Amino acid sequence: MKEKHWLIIALIGYLALVYVSWDSSVKVSPDGRLFLTFWHTYNDQEEQVLRSIIKKWEALPENAKYTVRPVRIPFEGHKEKIRTALTVGQGPDMARVDWSFVCELARKNAAIDLGLLGFDKIADQYLKAPLKSCYVDGKYHGLPDQSNCVAFFYNRTLFKEAGLIDKNAAPDPQEYLKVLPKTWEDLKKIGPKLTNKEKGQYAFAMTNTLWWNLPFFNTFGARIISEDGKKCELGSEEAIKAVEMMAELHKEGIEAGAWRAGAITPEQGFVNNKYAMIFMGPWNLARFSGLGAQLDFGVGLIPAGPNGSSTNVGGTDVVIFKDRDEPEKLTERIKFSYSFLTFFTNAQNQVEWCQKLNQIPINMGAYDLVKFEDKNLGIFMEQMKLAGANPVVKDFGLMEDMVNPEIEAILSGQKQASEALKIAAEKIQTRLLD
Amino acid sequence: MTPKTIGRTLLFLVLMAIMIFMVFGISGQIIKYGIMVFAALSSGEGFAGSENAASIMSKADNLIASLSVIITALVSFFIVKKYICSIERVRWDFLRRMFLYEVLMAGVILVLFPFFWMLCTAFKPSGQELVLAEGNPFDIIPNSPTLDNFRRVLKIDSESKAMGVIDPVENKKNFGTYFLNSLLVSTTAAFLVTLFSSMAAYVFSKKPLPYKKNIFVFLLATMMIPGMMFMVPQFFMICKMGMFGTKWAMFLPHLASVFGVFMLKQFMDTIPDSLLEAAQIDGASEWQVFRVVIIPLSIPIILTLFLLTFLSNWSNFLWQLIVTDFENPLSITLPVGLALFRGQYVSELGLIMSASCFSIVPVAVLFLFAQRYFIEGMTQGAVKE
Repeated sequence: MKEKHWLIIALIGYLALVYVSWDSSVKVSPDGRLFLTFWHTYNDQEEQVLRSIIKKWEALPENAKYTVRPVRIPFEGHKEKIRTALTVGQGPDMARVDWSFVCELARKNAAIDLGLLGFDKIADQYLKAPLKSCYVDGKYHGLPDQSNCVAFFYNRTLFKEAGLIDKNAAPDPQEYLKVLPKTWEDLKKIGPKLTNKEKGQYAFAMTNTLWWNLPFFNTFGARIISEDGKKCELGSEEAIKAVEMMAELHKEGIEAGAWRAGAITPEQGFVNNKYAMIFMGPWNLARFSGLGAQLDFGVGLIPAGPNGSSTNVGGTDVVIFKDRDEPEKLTERIKFSYSFLTFFTNAQNQVEWCQKLNQIPINMGAYDLVKFEDKNLGIFMEQMKLAGANPVVKDFGLMEDMVNPEIEAILSGQKQASEALKIAAEKIQTRLLD
Repeated sequence: MTPKTIGRTLLFLVLMAIMIFMVFGISGQIIKYGIMVFAALSSGEGFAGSENAASIMSKADNLIASLSVIITALVSFFIVKKYICSIERVRWDFLRRMFLYEVLMAGVILVLFPFFWMLCTAFKPSGQELVLAEGNPFDIIPNSPTLDNFRRVLKIDSESKAMGVIDPVENKKNFGTYFLNSLLVSTTAAFLVTLFSSMAAYVFSKKPLPYKKNIFVFLLATMMIPGMMFMVPQFFMICKMGMFGTKWAMFLPHLASVFGVFMLKQFMDTIPDSLLEAAQIDGASEWQVFRVVIIPLSIPIILTLFLLTFLSNWSNFLWQLIVTDFENPLSITLPVGLALFRGQYVSELGLIMSASCFSIVPVAVLFLFAQRYFIEGMTQGAVKE
């Protein structure tokens, strides 16, 4: 009897669950306009600004027929989601994707060549380095919507403790910029002063993945892939020198070995006053500033190598997909999608976007118009202009898988740089380029 | 005093010191956690609320220390009294047990630490998730706790409420919806998989069937193919059947569980055929034999399969991501909803942890109720008679 009671309770509970959760469809689109679906991966705050820009676009008389429906998907797994959706014709009209995904979409003939819509004429409005991630086989298959890079974060508390800055000095950023290393050689010189192994403090900490290592390669003028995209140049003299310099930083005890599995990550070490300098992106500015007195930090340019200061390019691009019903035509939907994306990334809207969200503009026209309260964002804007283009390949993840273990072997002293990079270059050439 | 007695007393003192250290540490953390929750509950939203909670926490330092000392003293008194009152010949046994308890306590701390870390991080203000306490990196309880993460996850913070007024659908994109969706999908999948697998296992185990062994081996062979291989064809079929974005799509392709059939069949093989024959002689039909004899005897393994299937559906991210129609946010399940807190470069650890605090509840409750059967089921095949 007791068991029966439990069974009845469980059944009632289950039926209640079915009633509450089953088939709860949402009614959207009230005003009879046609939808252009835009899959994005923005967060809550970004989505709010996106919606306000969509409203402005809708209000234009020429767009009376269409509206954009923003559909949020998780960034994690967005590639798989888009791949499978496109396979069965369930894809959106446009999507915001990781910069490294554009090449795959272009090569698989899924993303529209924006040159057909006149993008070539306005391409020079956009920042060069991020734009290159959309440039596949001589055509623009997307346009950048949000871009960032890494710059050199420094921990002022550790600089003071090391005696590089007077402890009683006013927090003048210029004073710090004077002592901040301008070149990698400068870093090697001041590194020992900022390192105290007994306390677990190190002058510098880095992550070992190809994307995070691109600033090293770029400051040495090393290319990963040749300009025409057909040859892997990872085994070049410049690349070898860049990696040898990274290995020296670690060997001399200046770098913490934060790239090792299980080590304190650069971010965690930095916020806990263990690492004096790290590469970090603008996405953490607000979080770090929110720590108040717990973290006194500043941002400077990445130390220069033979090719000057440089950095990598991160962020996302937006692509327009072929019409599922008429894949060979530039349909009205495609034209309006393009109209929306160029409107979304024009200088005026970029100013609104960047000021509300504290992000680096992607449109050169917005560079002079945007004004930030956080001065560090100005450093990022300067650093962004010095960025080198990322390698554009059909599978950047696979490229990372081939390069990262080789660089780790160099950093840990198991292999010579020339030998390891040659192996990585051969793998990339065979599996990604030939 | 004999050397043996001196040695035993010394050992007791060492074990006692370890015990005092552990009890003081654990009670201190539990009391601090309780006060932290109280401070967070009694403070408001945002930075001001967090500052208010911090002031409550700082005032409670002496209280935490005093209560910890009292608890430690009480426990120490109890143990010493027990030791002194015990007769001479059982004292070694007492020490052995004391050592065992200390090892177990250390084990419990080790196992529960990740959960404790999750419970603490959920209360940390945004950006402070990775910050460690100066001097003691293991003191992970936040000094300026906030409920903002929970508010944001449940969409009851002021920003979400304002957004909800503009777009009511936004209001429904909350953890509660994801949770209920996942509960429905996981429960239905677990029930149906268990039902179908037990019927199939019964046939493979007890009924005559032409080429039974070969068919079973063939089925087992399909387990060697990675599940990822089926993903695109299954997705294609789901779309063709018009089920994209429905809850059916979440579990329908996974109802045929070869692993489930295999597990139940192995168990049912151990049930004597004579029991079935006795039931048949008494006039039981096929269905009655299955329901009255097979099912009750296989309850431990059936519940184990239920739990395993529930768990796999509860945490199945990739498939649910693929079949979710994001244009209808009410179809989002928990693993997919949690992924929305992770961005390209930044993961909102506080939000993930506060959502995880809720998401482990059904699994913990299920395991708590069914653990006896679960352990029984897992160890059934261990002994071959």
